[in-house]
Amino acid sequence: MLTVNDYLFYILGAITALSGLGVVLLRNPIHCAFMLVISMVGIAGLFAALNAFFIAAVQLIVYAGAVMVLFVMVLMLFDLRHEVKAFSKGLASFILKLVTTGVMLGLLIAYITHTFSVDPSFKPVPTDPQQSMEVTKEVSQLLFTRYVFGFEVIGALLLIIAIGAVTLSRISGGTHADS
Amino acid sequence: MSALLAILILALIVALFGGALVWLSTIAGPKVRKTSAKLMPYECGLPGQQARDTKISIKFYLTAILFIIFDIEIIFMYPWAVSYFNFMESGMGGYILGAMGVFILLFVIGLIWEVKSKALDWN
Amino acid sequence: MGQDAFEITVNILKMAIIFLMIVQAVPLLVWVERRGSAFIQNRLGPNRVGPLGLLQLLADAVKFLTKENFVPEKSEPIFYYGAPIMALIPATLAFASIPLSVPIEVAPFEMFGRTWGPYTFLLQGYDLGIGIVFVLGISSLGAYALLMAGWGSGSKYSLLGALRASAQVISYELALSLSLVGILMVYGTFYFTDIVNAQTGPLNFHFFGKQVVIPWLPNWGIFFQPLGAILFFCATFAETNRLPFDLPEAEGELVAGYHTEYGGFKFNLFFIGEYGHMLVASALMATFYFGGYHFPGLTPASVSAFWSGVVDGVNAANILTSLTFFLILLAKIAFFLWVFIWVRWTLPRFRYDHLMDLGWKTMLPWALFNTVLTAVVMYISHK
Repeated sequence: MLTVNDYLFYILGAITALSGLGVVLLRNPIHCAFMLVISMVGIAGLFAALNAFFIAAVQLIVYAGAVMVLFVMVLMLFDLRHEVKAFSKGLASFILKLVTTGVMLGLLIAYITHTFSVDPSFKPVPTDPQQSMEVTKEVSQLLFTRYVFGFEVIGALLLIIAIGAVTLSRISGGTHADS
Repeated sequence: MSALLAILILALIVALFGGALVWLSTIAGPKVRKTSAKLMPYECGLPGQQARDTKISIKFYLTAILFIIFDIEIIFMYPWAVSYFNFMESGMGGYILGAMGVFILLFVIGLIWEVKSKALDWN
Repeated sequence: MGQDAFEITVNILKMAIIFLMIVQAVPLLVWVERRGSAFIQNRLGPNRVGPLGLLQLLADAVKFLTKENFVPEKSEPIFYYGAPIMALIPATLAFASIPLSVPIEVAPFEMFGRTWGPYTFLLQGYDLGIGIVFVLGISSLGAYALLMAGWGSGSKYSLLGALRASAQVISYELALSLSLVGILMVYGTFYFTDIVNAQTGPLNFHFFGKQVVIPWLPNWGIFFQPLGAILFFCATFAETNRLPFDLPEAEGELVAGYHTEYGGFKFNLFFIGEYGHMLVASALMATFYFGGYHFPGLTPASVSAFWSGVVDGVNAANILTSLTFFLILLAKIAFFLWVFIWVRWTLPRFRYDHLMDLGWKTMLPWALFNTVLTAVVMYISHK
């Protein structure tokens, strides 16, 4: 018997998958970006359906609320008429896009199913919703004891990204230099 | 039933309400008489002067990228903050303070460098 | 959400009522704003329509509905119409996750010939263990309403206004998130109800191994994190695009910024969203730093005992207890909303580069300093 949670999962999964398809198939880049936003929010919903509320909220904050805002802002800065004209239309190109995405999806599903059959402990199990706080504290416990080196490396990596982004924006020249 | 269902139902209620109001404002009121003044984008009342291609500052891109970076660092501070007291009680207070201290040091170096290099100076 | 029909119905009605609270708060707030600003500027506000001018906004709403619905030619309809709707969603979802009062315990009662079992109704839309992280995540989606409005209007000036507004919003989101880290360290949980319940009783804390109790001060968060409270409150001003941070809506520069091309009720929907964000900010301020729905001297048990003596029927007494605490929270929220309005008509607007400098070079370092200071003080005083 399908529970409410199952229905929620299927609906959210459908939304995520369809908006992901929309990213690939739509013509106007800004429409694609907003479809990707919907996809990110859908993924956050899927995390919440597994009762991983903290990760869902972090997904919203970082992906849907920061990375995609960057994408949308930058896309709005450009004159997109060239991009829209350069989009490949027509039946052959549509079928090619569907086939490529389908092949990659098939590979992904095969890999995941194989992993589950080899080691069933990898399957995501919904946690108890009342234990959200304890789960978060366990996450932080793990993060700062077993994975503390990775944590510090992430801090250094973010520093390098910051310096790199600012430096790159200062360089003159490049492919669109004289437009 | 989980909180997720409640969130989705509330979002749906709000979207329907907003949609109903927007639709209501579309059908109510006098019919739109399309004059060229109404259709053109508003520019202080003068007829359209928009140049075709205008350059918009790159500062928006830099602001957004630096926002992502510092936002991720702040997200890492959240689990640390709520389990800080527990760590202290289990005797590892100094260690956890040191671990996050290194992280905050990297954060501060990034912030200082960004300020010094005048990356976000709007003028 | 509930096992049987009664609980499910009540929960859905509760969410609709919470949303309508925000919508109904807007006319009241606009009236307070116009009369309050008039009082500050030494003139009379609207006082013709209805008693004390209270029906002014109803008249305005009817006027807005009957305005001509023009759509600029170069706009994209899906963004143009979607943006006002998108402006409502983050504020409502955030407000619904904040507990507004003590839960109502309903004892078994008879209706329609059936016994409906004991229920506990929370006075919030949904109960999340990760309260504040969810509010931050949803608020960060508010930037999309601005961007959609700016792009959907098809005008270069709207786009520029929207980009500046969203750059401002994301910059102050950093200061907002960081200023909350301090108070999270003090209370050790994201869960709103636990944070509110930790603020009962007199002020007490650990100090070098001794337990210090100050009986004449309540155990509010503001005494533990004064700097964090100030930073948080200032950051919420920028998040809600209120003066002194409302350059994106500035009159002289970009006309009306990202909502230049909006007329009629769509314009109003943006303002419902803005006042909704103000409401969320005031509720968060009251919950984190001012004791939420608790009042020094009153406990749920004592208030419930009081009401049990006045009305009979344990359900009525429980409902009145929750109502009392809700009114306490409402009084605190009203105070902060008045501060929002007061500041708007007192301070001049910031220039855009001053605004961004304030966010990145002043508030972020101070918030970081607050975090480090709190961590060090907690560590030292715990030894």
